[in-house]
Amino acid sequence: MQPCVDMTLLDDILAQYPHEEQSLIQVLQDVQRAYNYLPCEVLEKVASELKVPLAKVFSVSTFYKAFSLNPQGKVIIKVCTGTACHIRGATQIIDEVERRLGIKPGETTEDLGFTLHTVNCVGACAMAPVVIVGDKYVGAAKASDMHKYLTVAKGGDNEN
Amino acid sequence: MPRLVIDGKTVVAKEGTFLLQAAREAGIDIPTLCEHPAVEPYGGCRMCLVDVTRPEWDGWSKMVVSCLFPVEDGIIVSTKSERVMNTRRVVIDLLLARCPNTPLVQKMAAEYGIEKTSYVQNPEPTDCILCGLCTRVCDEMGTSAISSSSRGAGREIAPPFNEPPPDCIGCLACAEICPTGFIKYETSNSKRVIWNKEFEMLRCPTCGRGHITKAQAAWHDGKVPGRYFEQCDACKRKAQAAMAVTLMGGSQIR
Ligand code: SF4
Ligand code: FES
Ligand code: FES
Repeated sequence: MQPCVDMTLLDDILAQYPHEEQSLIQVLQDVQRAYNYLPCEVLEKVASELKVPLAKVFSVSTFYKAFSLNPQGKVIIKVCTGTACHIRGATQIIDEVERRLGIKPGETTEDLGFTLHTVNCVGACAMAPVVIVGDKYVGAAKASDMHKYLTVAKGGDNEN
Repeated sequence: MPRLVIDGKTVVAKEGTFLLQAAREAGIDIPTLCEHPAVEPYGGCRMCLVDVTRPEWDGWSKMVVSCLFPVEDGIIVSTKSERVMNTRRVVIDLLLARCPNTPLVQKMAAEYGIEKTSYVQNPEPTDCILCGLCTRVCDEMGTSAISSSSRGAGREIAPPFNEPPPDCIGCLACAEICPTGFIKYETSNSKRVIWNKEFEMLRCPTCGRGHITKAQAAWHDGKVPGRYFEQCDACKRKAQAAMAVTLMGGSQIR
């Protein structure tokens, strides 16, 4: 079962935008940021408040990669698997993260600490292989250094 | 009124019509999969591609989707050129990879000489060709209960959260417009189930057949005059026929 979510966060978000269809994506972006995902009861209220059919809200929510219907970890790890990064060892990096955190791409650790995603070319091929841990881009990433990046990300996260 | 040439035939079309329509009115058939008179053109399936050129273009031509291309004066259209046929073949080949077991797709592929897809076949075959007719007709109904979800290879037609759609009124418009029969439903005199949602039926006062869901009647209430949806279509037709006969002074046909 989905845990109950705090609807007051949504009320604050909705207060900032005109209640019309055009606000949908901005509201969803704020919801994603505030809740770390798009909880279904929140989407239902978004639909009724903005007067957009729920089916449309669902369609938009599943279309964009920036949105997620499942709770995401505090820190999102994106491993680039584009051509350059693939050649320079993206697979080993993914293996290492899987081994350390026990999650596969697309999954989140049970304590909601980390989510692992793969992405296709982040446009920094010269720095391949590239890993993005939270907001931090790591170039020439090494599988053997992954534990360091993860620890920093976990610690760094407490600051804000 | 724009004059154009389609497959060598001079056609005078109405201003503002789309090429597909103009061709059809001239008796020229163009294959389509996502087009339907009940909904706006969508340009989703790309089967209706045709070649368009002008004498001054010096042999250059462009491919357009005829269902969405407004007629222009002086264009020369070819609906069966080598290039058009090859491109359609790619489209249908890809569709066959997605829907290898779907009779409609198989039949179309066969018409284009394709027996087996040349692409990697979808490991999870589906009957949905993603023509979007169902979601568009649902929008047209004003209900918008279903939509497409995700994108790319994972795109599919689904109700919100893949659960019984709250806005669905059980009208069956989506299932009836679906060209492949992908959308399943069950209906009886008392109960109807579609998208895993259960509906109570209302019966026709004349013949007793369950012909409309309660939710649908409520939806139409106030939008259509009087009690239009109370009687079933068959009984309405009979009543009209009987009235016509009476008006013409004839005796009723048995
Ligand atoms: S379910 Fe049917 S109507 Fe809807 S997109 Fe798929 S094939 Fe088209
Ligand atoms: S392939 Fe990874 S940044 Fe381009
Ligand atoms: S009929 Fe024109 S794109 Fe489908």
